[in-house]
Amino acid sequence: MANLGAPGKTASDITDELPTFNVENMQNNAKIIYYSRTFMSIIGGVIAGILGFTGLTGFIFYFLVMAITSVGLAAKAGFSVHSYFDGWNRIILDGFLGGLLSFVLFWTFAYDLVHIF
Amino acid sequence: MAEDLVLDTAIRDWVLIPLSVVMVLIGILRYFVSKLMRSSNQAPDPKMVKEGQVIIRARNLRAAANYIPAKSFRARRVYFSNEENGLLYVPKGQAQNAQAQMFSDPNMAMDMMKKNLSMIIPQTLTFAWVNFFFSGFVAAKIPFPLTQRFRSMLQNGIDLSTVDVSYVSSRSWYFLNLFGLRGLFSLILGEENATDDTQRMMQMSGFGFDPTKSLGAEKDSLDIFQHEWALPKFEQRAEAVLKKLVS
Repeated sequence: MANLGAPGKTASDITDELPTFNVENMQNNAKIIYYSRTFMSIIGGVIAGILGFTGLTGFIFYFLVMAITSVGLAAKAGFSVHSYFDGWNRIILDGFLGGLLSFVLFWTFAYDLVHIF
Repeated sequence: MAEDLVLDTAIRDWVLIPLSVVMVLIGILRYFVSKLMRSSNQAPDPKMVKEGQVIIRARNLRAAANYIPAKSFRARRVYFSNEENGLLYVPKGQAQNAQAQMFSDPNMAMDMMKKNLSMIIPQTLTFAWVNFFFSGFVAAKIPFPLTQRFRSMLQNGIDLSTVDVSYVSSRSWYFLNLFGLRGLFSLILGEENATDDTQRMMQMSGFGFDPTKSLGAEKDSLDIFQHEWALPKFEQRAEAVLKKLVS
């Protein structure tokens, strides 16, 4: 699903190591990160609910899922993060807490359906 | 204290799932309704459009300034910001009052009201609906423990102090849906989804938006911009490439 745009950095060696960015591609890549994270947090919530995690375990599971997403995104970028994003921060931290509410919702939903009723 | 409350499966079938489905459907409906309302009106004021385009051009110049020689940059800057007929220069006294402009254009206020209504009405209605039909019983259990402080908020309508706080009433399930579904909406409705409340707030604060003020701001930032030529070895490189081609 995640088609990363053309490299954000275009031919840095020509312009004396000055990084040049294509803003549109950057935004597109950031959007893809956001979508992937939201998607993963929803799926992760359902999985956590079905497996019946409670309390701290569930939140640890959320961080695990987010870490896996980060690794997946880095792999999608061919581990040459700097040609697609402006640093590791973006790929690791962006939208990290944004998916938490969605995660909690779907976690509760699946947990209630499977384990409570 | 009872470890596990046994909840009736009818609650799941008639409260939990319907509530979520209704929330999702209302969100989608709201998206399309606000889209319909938005697209129906107005040709924008040509002067406003013109000023907006000028600002965009100035911003582009500022963003790409380092890729043109200093002389060219200076020439372009003068074109935008000189005090006589620069595009960004606004003579004193011509700046119109934003407040007055707002009142002279009832369409704008109307638009705002429509937007707000399309947000508030469904929420109020859903909340009233949930309160009316689904209050007074435990509807769900959240899978993580909470402190006693949350009791009054989450167990509204359940007057039992011994029930564990993680058992919540339908009202809290409603709120959980309200906030948690935002991510889902952005996935299924795409980018500009109308349920994004924070964006709505931004728009509201930018309501008394004054184009002359932004022209002035853009002029100032263009004036203080430091030009730094990004391609100093450009000519040597071109020379080398051409030499290689010729020889």
